[in-house]
Amino acid sequence: MNKSDNEKREVLLRVENLCQYFRTGSTELKAVDGVSFDIYKGEVFGLVGESGCGKTTTGRSIIKLYKITSGDIYYRNTRIAAGTRSLEEQMRALRKEGRRTASALQKEGDAEAAKEERRKTAARLKELRHAIKRAKYDDEHCNHVYAAGKEAEVRAAYEEKLASCPEAKRDALRKEYKEQLRIASRERITNKIQMIFQDPIASLNPRMTVRDTIAEGLIIKGIRDKKYIDEQVYKMLDLVGLVPEHAGRYPHEFSGGQRQRIGIARAIIMNPELIIADEPISALDVSIQAQVINLLNDLREKFGLTVLFIAHDLSVVKYFSDRIAVMYFGKIVELADSDELFAHPMHPYTRSLLSAIPLPDPAYEKKRRRITYNPLLAHDYSKQQPTLREVSEGHFVLCNDEEFESYRRALEDE
Amino acid sequence: MTNKKLEVKNLRISFRTASGKVQAVRDISFDLYEGETLAIVGESGSGKSVTTRAIMGISALNAIVENGEIFYDGRDLLKYTEEDFQELRGDKIAMIFQDPMSSLNPIVKVGKQLTEAMLLKNRTRRRSSRRDFYRMLKALRTAVRDSEGENAAYAKMVQSFIRAERIGTKCESRYRLARQNAEEAHERLKELLVTYAKETESTIRTRCARIRRYASRCGDEFLPVFRSDRFLRLLEMLRPNGLRTERDLNELLQVLEEGLSLPVPDFYAIGYYRAFSGDRGNGGNIEALNERARAFCAEFDRAFTKDTEVGIAHAHAVSLQKKSEALTPLREGAAALGGEWNKETVVPLVKKLSALVQDCIDPTEVRKESVERTFGPCILSYCARYFAGIRKNEKEQARFDRQTQKRDALAARGKQPDWKVTPPSLTDTGALKQSMLAAFDALIALYEAQTAAGAPYDAAAETNGTIAHLKDLASRTAVRVNRSAAKRRAIRLLNEVGIPDAEKRYGQYPFELSGGQRQRIVIAIALSADPDILICDEPTTALDVTIQAQILELINKVKRERNLSVIFITHDLGVVANIADRIAVMYAGKIVEYGTSEEIFYSPAHPYTWALLSSVPDLESSERLEAIPGTPPNMIYPPKGDAFAERNRYALEIDFKRQPPMFRITDTHYAATWLLHPMAPKVEIPASVTERIRRMRKEADSE
Repeated sequence: MNKSDNEKREVLLRVENLCQYFRTGSTELKAVDGVSFDIYKGEVFGLVGESGCGKTTTGRSIIKLYKITSGDIYYRNTRIAAGTRSLEEQMRALRKEGRRTASALQKEGDAEAAKEERRKTAARLKELRHAIKRAKYDDEHCNHVYAAGKEAEVRAAYEEKLASCPEAKRDALRKEYKEQLRIASRERITNKIQMIFQDPIASLNPRMTVRDTIAEGLIIKGIRDKKYIDEQVYKMLDLVGLVPEHAGRYPHEFSGGQRQRIGIARAIIMNPELIIADEPISALDVSIQAQVINLLNDLREKFGLTVLFIAHDLSVVKYFSDRIAVMYFGKIVELADSDELFAHPMHPYTRSLLSAIPLPDPAYEKKRRRITYNPLLAHDYSKQQPTLREVSEGHFVLCNDEEFESYRRALEDE
Repeated sequence: MTNKKLEVKNLRISFRTASGKVQAVRDISFDLYEGETLAIVGESGSGKSVTTRAIMGISALNAIVENGEIFYDGRDLLKYTEEDFQELRGDKIAMIFQDPMSSLNPIVKVGKQLTEAMLLKNRTRRRSSRRDFYRMLKALRTAVRDSEGENAAYAKMVQSFIRAERIGTKCESRYRLARQNAEEAHERLKELLVTYAKETESTIRTRCARIRRYASRCGDEFLPVFRSDRFLRLLEMLRPNGLRTERDLNELLQVLEEGLSLPVPDFYAIGYYRAFSGDRGNGGNIEALNERARAFCAEFDRAFTKDTEVGIAHAHAVSLQKKSEALTPLREGAAALGGEWNKETVVPLVKKLSALVQDCIDPTEVRKESVERTFGPCILSYCARYFAGIRKNEKEQARFDRQTQKRDALAARGKQPDWKVTPPSLTDTGALKQSMLAAFDALIALYEAQTAAGAPYDAAAETNGTIAHLKDLASRTAVRVNRSAAKRRAIRLLNEVGIPDAEKRYGQYPFELSGGQRQRIVIAIALSADPDILICDEPTTALDVTIQAQILELINKVKRERNLSVIFITHDLGVVANIADRIAVMYAGKIVEYGTSEEIFYSPAHPYTWALLSSVPDLESSERLEAIPGTPPNMIYPPKGDAFAERNRYALEIDFKRQPPMFRITDTHYAATWLLHPMAPKVEIPASVTERIRRMRKEADSE
């Protein structure tokens, strides 16, 4: 898939300058620091990197398990999460700057210009204040706004129907209308994004049966029809390769692979469009890993799911993903189509990561030389800070001008 | 031939549970050679961890060892007491555990957990080396006395030898500490210089201060460079307020390298020289000092070696004599044990033979023959287990019959009882008998080979080996680890396993670290005590690729340096290909295939191995993965035939009826599948596997 294809395709999720900082004592830990990427509909987007580089945090921020520090996350062009830190910093800087220039002008005796300057600053501050307010509103109320929209849709549809409905059937229709309205009022845009968690043991409540676990989402969604819920649960169990008898059991009665299947069933029962799979197979046995990957592949074909696949096993990511982003210490250092990334790795960290993949081939393993990566030695960012730039079509690398040139040259030489 | 480090023979372990006996390990045997890595591959629940836990003596409380032996250093580990194991664990056999959460103590700081083993084990190791040293000298003296009567001159020589070694080890001890400090300083300085231009002034200052602390402690009489004025002047420059340039630091690095490349003194010779020449031999060139000392003690060495050789040859001759005499009773014993066993006759016979063989052992030999040394304890235990088993089997059978009867009676009355009858846990007495006879066969074959006329024996080489061993033991007592040295080593280990900020982590508690870091701490602890055998139970499963590669490199490096033997348990075939020399594939408590790493990857023979290989994607694969259908069998009721038959696409009818034996493919490659039987139909290896092998071969050839 190349760039022109991408442009035609619908962007399902857009992450812009996502920052997620955590307070640790007096200092701040920058778990994710300015990450941007798009996920297109129907693709599998792989996110790789060493442990502690912020992959999981990114995934968790997207489904709003954390309150993000700054940046925006758009789902189908609706802002579902927004942070205000960068805006606040801008405001602070602006205020300082404005005050300084104004007082300088004042000293020079140009009172009129100073006044003008103050007025300009105030206007821009107001704009920023407004942006912050909007961000806060979107962050908190995106789901309510979405639900209100849904309610309006239902209302419009039923008002019409009610008007044209004969008197005898009107009561039944009214009842249905009320029910639909209630369900619509509980619609959440973030329900379209579901997550499969890393540890199948820790992520299932040991005191809930499999039925309760899987049906919980539906119940929260406002569905009260027991029969329908049971039907759905059995359907999901069947989909993930379990049998209806399993519904009454507790998580501890299952093996690791089966537990992960329960986690998957719980996610897909909500009929999501985007699944965030956070290392779904790293806690599993080899033979089970293959089963789970095959299952995810089948589901993807069946429902046209989009997947954000977070993992550290590169051979699996390569096998499963269309595009891959490599993260290092909270930043994306390289992003490309998976074949392109493996064929032409450019960033030194990606090279070192690829050189570390173990393969089931003793002769290759005997020869394999690992490249070590030391950011202090590999880059010289004293003159210019790096940014994410497009080196070739659809292939982004974190670099500065100098490195950018060298990457391009290396690519042309080939 | 390389030495066998560990031998597991016919091991069978079950677990007693409420619903019956779970047969976790069923009759597995393997050897571990010196300096090799054996990988055990298989799904969870196939008995990999159970086997290794038995080796460490940390089986669960409900585990029953039904049969088998684990030989290490001439003794059966299954008969060790807890006190014996405490000497062994960590020091001789160390283990990296799977679960870092539960294998670290949450209320003890990381640093303490790391250094604890080093400090404790250093003490016991020095003690045991010293003990072995004197024991060996005593054996030599006895041998010499036996050969030529009371020899006062030899006794005096032994005393001189001891005195020389004492003085030598004292010097060595000091030398090693100084050298360690120098190495540490060198390492840190090198690191600093790599990024010198980019560091800030304050980091450089603190790092220089630390380097200075190490460098100021590396002066020793055998490292004269570190006492020179030039070195001291450079050290002054490292002071916080000292004036230093990059050139000075480079010069210091040069001096440190110079010092570290000085020749190593011959401590034994120098010890002898100092003890008996009346000269301290201070200062000057170390090469010259070595020469002088060696020349001085050459005469003594010759005399000592000559007399020792007489003793060793004599001891060997006596042992051979005893062995050839023992052959007849052994053969008779084997014949007698081939028939029915009667408690009154068998027990005294076994006791007598065990004592007889114990007596045949040559006390002066350095390389211990495990067949001979384990024979005695082994046959005693077989015998005891056999008779205990007969008694217990009767009881178990009676209980089973009684309960079945009760159940049948209920069923006959039309009730369906909701309980099951636990199957009887019987001891396989036939297998015990077989093992006993096999032990006899092995010993008789060994003795016949040793006592045959013209069996190679080189007394001079043996003597040299013995004396080298003595010197090695003495030098081992010189390795002294104190608190600060232990801390330094711990921090270096932390750096080696890839933990950033090692110095800060040293003082933290386990809960302050991430899962991957905790796993790395566990690895560092296992490596801290310099073990002989390292057991790795899925050490890198929780780690990401870069750290995994780093840790595998570390394990490989340590293995090469110390000639370590490693047992590596994992289910990641990529890791196996990297690290293993030989591979054993386990399924349902049995080894189904084993061979060298090339054989398993390039010409796998068992359907289970095929299934494992085709269920992992590599960088080229794009077709659908072939997952293994179903789950492993319930080991309370192990299947009658091949345990893998149920999930096997290639299963033959016989697979459901009889267990396949191990078929030999090459001398190193064995597999337990009926497909290898000459009468079996020809079966093609799955396409995805052949395809990959073809690709790998091509790549290997093209380069």
